[in-house]
Amino acid sequence: MLDLSGISRRFGATHALGDVSLALSEGEVLGLVGPNGAGKSTLIKIIAGADRPDAGEIRIDGKPVQFHSAHDAYAAGIRVIHQDAPLVPGFDTVENCYLGRAYPRRFGRIDRKAMRAAIAEVAADIAPELDLDMPTMFLPPAERQFVRLLRAVADKGRLLILDEPTAALPAEDAERFYQVLRRTRERGTSIILVSHRLDEIADFCNRAVVIRDGRIVAQFAEGEVKPEAMIAAMGGSTSERSTRQTDTSAPKIIEIDGVTAGDLTRPAELAVHAGEVIALYGLAGSGRSSLLNAIWGAIPWVGRMRLAGADYAPRSPRQAIAQGVSCVPADRHRSGLFLSEDLVFNKTLPLLSGYRRLRGLPVPDVKSERAEFLVAAERVSLSYRDPKQLARTLSGGNQQKLIFSRWANRHSRVMLLDEPTEGVDVMAKATIKDIIRAIAADGNAVLVSTSDRDEALELGDRIAVFRQGGIVRIFTRAEASAEALSAAAQSREAA
Amino acid sequence: MTRTNLNRFGTLIAFVLLCIGFSIAAPAAFASPANVFNLVQQMATLAIVATAATLVMTISEFDLSVGFSASLAAVICFVLFGQGYDVWLAVPAALLVGIVGGAANGVLVARFGIPSFVATLALGTILSGFAFGLSGGQSLFQSVPDGFKSLARGDVFGIPVLGFWIVAVLGIAAFVLTQTEFGRRLRAIGGNAQAARLAGLPIVRDVIVTFAIAGGLSALAGLLLASRLGSVQHTMGEPLLLPAYAAVFIGTTASPTGAPTVAGTLLGVAITGVMVNGMTIVGVEPFVQKIMTGVIILVAVLLRRVGRAK
Repeated sequence: MLDLSGISRRFGATHALGDVSLALSEGEVLGLVGPNGAGKSTLIKIIAGADRPDAGEIRIDGKPVQFHSAHDAYAAGIRVIHQDAPLVPGFDTVENCYLGRAYPRRFGRIDRKAMRAAIAEVAADIAPELDLDMPTMFLPPAERQFVRLLRAVADKGRLLILDEPTAALPAEDAERFYQVLRRTRERGTSIILVSHRLDEIADFCNRAVVIRDGRIVAQFAEGEVKPEAMIAAMGGSTSERSTRQTDTSAPKIIEIDGVTAGDLTRPAELAVHAGEVIALYGLAGSGRSSLLNAIWGAIPWVGRMRLAGADYAPRSPRQAIAQGVSCVPADRHRSGLFLSEDLVFNKTLPLLSGYRRLRGLPVPDVKSERAEFLVAAERVSLSYRDPKQLARTLSGGNQQKLIFSRWANRHSRVMLLDEPTEGVDVMAKATIKDIIRAIAADGNAVLVSTSDRDEALELGDRIAVFRQGGIVRIFTRAEASAEALSAAAQSREAA
Repeated sequence: MTRTNLNRFGTLIAFVLLCIGFSIAAPAAFASPANVFNLVQQMATLAIVATAATLVMTISEFDLSVGFSASLAAVICFVLFGQGYDVWLAVPAALLVGIVGGAANGVLVARFGIPSFVATLALGTILSGFAFGLSGGQSLFQSVPDGFKSLARGDVFGIPVLGFWIVAVLGIAAFVLTQTEFGRRLRAIGGNAQAARLAGLPIVRDVIVTFAIAGGLSALAGLLLASRLGSVQHTMGEPLLLPAYAAVFIGTTASPTGAPTVAGTLLGVAITGVMVNGMTIVGVEPFVQKIMTGVIILVAVLLRRVGRAK
């Protein structure tokens, strides 16, 4: 149905896209893969009418079209589904699906029955388990994704473009999401899937293309879509699982004793040794993030914690920092970065008082800030143009490295990482994992909270599995397997 | 000139054109030393209140109590004069009331999570009630010491005293915002409060201090206004509120990221000041002046939006 030929787009001197040609037929699913900044977003914008190519042609059903706005593309049946596209929280599924559409009317009044019937018909096909009358604020994150999908399909969507649809979902929910997506495909809807999770692309897509530097560098036909091949085409190498063993003779750096906080409702027991990476794996809301936030002093907690043998009771991140704890929070845009400030600002902020030229005078010395930034940037292999460029201009992977750089030139004792590779491309992921191992090798205790099972297996010397507000089991390296982790993390309702 | 530069300096260019225009239209009256002297005096109190608004807007909050704080401080000062207290006691007492009122705003916002728009409106209304009560609704002008009058009147080497106040207050505020750790933290809180908290910044304390400073500056502006006029009414500070925020908004059009800056705010104060002064000299009717001032604010912000959309 969709046919792109020779699409090019340049911004100033950079070629964002050069001569990209693609064809997609009815009911086909195409995986779009590439490192951050490769041109995927530009391509999506052009297909969705949000940007116009400098050269090339777009055809739909064989007829050339020119999209002057996103509205034109919408009218042609193209729907872009962003994973965090806003839903009106107080509206139920039916009302959210009708946002921006003409309401059916009956005697001049909105005909709620007709609305519900129209949505229910599509929902029965693709997501029968979805509650249509529940305000979306009460739906779990996975089901909110179903709502976004339903909204796109119900309003005559013929081509869905999904950008990282499962980035925020744990593996089990991602599987449910793909079931829904499969049923959508069976209705004849075409899908373009953009994801850094290459195993999902391999499982789900008929075909895949790899984009690098604005060009299609590899195409994979039906049956050839394999993660290793895609990584090779992107110019990366497959990473290996951790084979390290916990050194139980190393001193315990952090001890958690009967701590409850936030989603963590059952008292947690955990001790992490110097030089150890422990992965905290579980569904969203299972308590793993709450444990990190408690150690960071970011949420109220009860219980007992010890840091290097001494009592440790942080009531704010400030107190945690003062005792040698560092943290890279989840959701870097909301919780990590100052997007409208420059790179040096973002790096030095948490430990700003360390840059005074005159002792006691709280005026940072710009030169020493810059010098330390350069060292830290090198250490986390940050790629950037200028220390004064704004944080928003970095790619996702580099933004994440920028947050890592905050702690790069001080000696931390405990490093807390919440979803450190979320929405980061394969190459940056590999670098970040190397950084994490290097931090542990320096004798730090590292806690990594993740919803990515493979990442837990790859990074964790031990893996603590969380379920329903508590730790259900701590696996050693030797005991852990993908199946065992999933079985332990699966909640009773879902099992 | 590139588009970014036009964006950045467009506001400044507009100001220069405005001055040139009025100088041509009324060369003798507008560009005369006496009128410039007068302009600086008229701008001073607004510049200081607008600086208070700039600080609060840096942390992405609003303070609607600035005008009320200014009135209350002036009333308290004059009431104390009436009871025979000296300048050295009355002025610090009045400033302290402004600082305490501001800190109370900060506590409501940072500790109790009340939206600053609501908290400062409510508290400002309470302050205005006190000002009304203490003044008895009367205009106060008796027994004002000479020392107080010299705060804002006259000149040094031909430069109006109020000009020095502008330089001192705005200079310190600009230094604090751009060069100090505190200023850095305020920008961080305004840019992303959640990230600032997780990065370990003492947000509650910084927000309270910011509102306290804003209250203190508003009180100072009220005292300077009282000194210049020689009399006090309990509603005298209220007309400062809207022009102060107008100045800050005009000023944000001159900053690269759209964040408020002290320099931008000064430019905003100067543009609105010159507009009113120039139009009065040229003989534009007051109601037209108001319309024109509103139009200028909209045009400045619109041009900025159009410039950024591309």
